[in-house]
Amino acid sequence: MAEERRGRGGSGSKARGNGRSGEKGGPRRGMFRRRKVCKFCADKVDYIDYKDAKMLLPFVPERAKILPRRISGVCAMHQRKLQTAIMRARQLALLPYSTD
Amino acid sequence: MSQARQYELVYILSPDATEQEITDLHAQIESIIARYQGELVRTENWGRRKLAFRIGKHREGTYVLEVFKGSGELTKELDRRLKVIDNVIRHLCVRVDEELRLAERTRARREAETQRRIARGLPVGGRSRRADDEGGDDDQADRAEV
Repeated sequence: MAEERRGRGGSGSKARGNGRSGEKGGPRRGMFRRRKVCKFCADKVDYIDYKDAKMLLPFVPERAKILPRRISGVCAMHQRKLQTAIMRARQLALLPYSTD
Repeated sequence: MSQARQYELVYILSPDATEQEITDLHAQIESIIARYQGELVRTENWGRRKLAFRIGKHREGTYVLEVFKGSGELTKELDRRLKVIDNVIRHLCVRVDEELRLAERTRARREAETQRRIARGLPVGGRSRRADDEGGDDDQADRAEV
């Protein structure tokens, strides 16, 4: 877990530095990882609507748990808004709490 | 000031509620809103939908959305009433005016920023750029034009 996070941080700083071929990102795995962009920032979404279950669905995969930011690449602000939206949608049975 | 609060109320009726019951309940809610000097903005009937999980013994429900303006006491009263009614299997009342206002403000600010950038002849797109690999290329292109 911790290792994973360190890897991610490295990739972030590298992208900000000098593009994808830079060597100074610390220990790198051979894999090329694309930098993720917040979907909501890219689409310029200001209000995440809890009533729109279809829009929220990609963020609650399989087990219906909320997809963590480090995987989805959503920015902190939108992750917070997404969280409240998902929780509200769950109360209204638009999204499941869990699936088995 | 506090009169301008806007709420969204969604309630789920049991699938065996008749059209008549749905309209009755709507009328009842409308009258409660009126009694508390609220104002009904709009209603939407989403119809029958499958529930994501079972509530009680139900697998389906009729969703109704009401958007209204009013005070905190009004929502309390609605909450109390809806809890009592057996036909309503779930309801949720959320205050939305602040969030909508915030969204509106960020949208306005972004538009102003875009206008400013156009006026100055700067590349449009803004700050979300810098670390974005794909965006990087056309960002460069934009700059070359200017």
